[in-house]
Amino acid sequence: MSIESRVTDAMEGTTHTLQSVISKSVSVVVHTLEELGSGWIFFLRVMRTYRKTSGYKDAIIEQIAEVSTRTISTVIFAGLFVGAILVLQFDVMLKRFDAETLLGGLNTSATIREIGPMIISFLLAGKIGAYTTAELANMRVTEQIDAVESLGVSPIQYLIIPRFIAIVLSSVVLLAIGLSVSVLGSIFVAQYFCGMNMYQYIASIPRFAGAWTIFEGLVRSIIFSTIVANVSTHKGYSATGGARGVGRAVTQSAIYINVYIVVANFISSSLLEWIHDLFFWAKNIVERLIF
Amino acid sequence: MSIRFDHVSKKFGPKQILDDVSFEVKRGEILFILGKSGMGKSVTLKHIIGVFAPDAGNIFVDDYEVSAMNTRERIDELTLVRQRCGMVFQHPALLDSLTNYENIAFGLRSQQYQKKIGKKLSEDEIHELVLEKLSLVHLDQEILSLFPHEVSYGVQKRVSMARTLAPGPEYLLFDEPTTGLDPLSTSSINELIFELSRKLKVTSIIVSHDMACALSIADQILFLDQGKILLIAPPKDVVNSTIPLVQDFFKETMALLPPNWSIKT
Repeated sequence: MSIESRVTDAMEGTTHTLQSVISKSVSVVVHTLEELGSGWIFFLRVMRTYRKTSGYKDAIIEQIAEVSTRTISTVIFAGLFVGAILVLQFDVMLKRFDAETLLGGLNTSATIREIGPMIISFLLAGKIGAYTTAELANMRVTEQIDAVESLGVSPIQYLIIPRFIAIVLSSVVLLAIGLSVSVLGSIFVAQYFCGMNMYQYIASIPRFAGAWTIFEGLVRSIIFSTIVANVSTHKGYSATGGARGVGRAVTQSAIYINVYIVVANFISSSLLEWIHDLFFWAKNIVERLIF
Repeated sequence: MSIRFDHVSKKFGPKQILDDVSFEVKRGEILFILGKSGMGKSVTLKHIIGVFAPDAGNIFVDDYEVSAMNTRERIDELTLVRQRCGMVFQHPALLDSLTNYENIAFGLRSQQYQKKIGKKLSEDEIHELVLEKLSLVHLDQEILSLFPHEVSYGVQKRVSMARTLAPGPEYLLFDEPTTGLDPLSTSSINELIFELSRKLKVTSIIVSHDMACALSIADQILFLDQGKILLIAPPKDVVNSTIPLVQDFFKETMALLPPNWSIKT
């Protein structure tokens, strides 16, 4: 085989590989956009139905009770460890710079603003998200949703909205409980594992964590729980293809929720930081104008 | 007053499910749709209640054009049509978080049904209607407090029928109602379908593989193959048909029939 033909073969091979990489990348991008689009359309459909209809208060209360009782023990247990892990990590770092007195503030701020909502949302995704998707997907493949529709009842109104509202409300409350527990857990670990005085630890909290920190934590909790609610109900509602379809829907739901939460965490961090700066800049101007 | 398909076509991906399908079922008639699996029988039924919209053609339920109703603006009209049509699914499709009683009462509690009858039913009225429908499907009251998973598949099917009958539909659509049942239950469900259709004077469309049942109770039989209508005719004409698929169905059926069996004339 001549050098020329080898070079031609190699070039053809490279072109073929490049083409396949590009086509796969394009299909991944298209698929991601499709997913985002259909998720967004579903969210709008739920909101529109929610505005148009009323009732099913009992169903919502029933779902809230179910979601909360099913997840509270996991959230408390995990919350304790989230705070504990962060305290140990911060302690190692801060000791290097003789800045242990900042431990309480830094740890609490990081727990409430960033790590706590994210990790607890991951847990909620695994627990509530997977359950909701599996339940709705099973109803879809056994034609229960079609039956509801054929009886003139909107499945969005009867099945989705109660679950959606219950997941959002319960998740916010569960996140608040989880974060409180993780703060308590970190105080405990700081005292007994890092040799720090509990009162010193608590005293440093207001230096880093104030009303804004709690606001940030709350905003993130609402965003993350809306993601859990929307993806899990959407994936369950649109499942197809028997038992395999149920499995596929649950897997996709878990993956998409986690990916969306990480991306939303990044976007919300940037936006909230920007809003924070804007807010304090405006506050300073107002104060200067007044005084 | 009828259900009418006018040159309806439907594709799922590259597969042509319905291809220029036209037929009409008049008030009080029983139409059986027969054909091999995957030939578009269930899809035909789901078009009638607007679960699917056709790619081409029109579907009318009475004066309503269902095929044009799958839009956000006309969804309320579609709900009205759905209330006229009661559908019995291939699986019982009962809500497993509700008892059998709650399942039968489900349609009666809906806001749309209350709008249709112009009042909210009291619990006593709902109870009365549930019992009435339960007796129509020959079930005892004992099963009412049980959940669907606590009763047999055959009973679930009957509960599912009672749920469909509860809001008083004018059209009954059955999607392979005897799938997964033993021969005795199959025969009793077939009798029940015939009895309900005649007693309640409703129009029925039944998707099935059961040629024997079709020949004995149908007013018309429609054969679907590859999305096209092979034949639509009364039972006595179906028996004499020279179409190979129809003959195959008939021969297979004849081999399994009891001696006292007769064709509806």
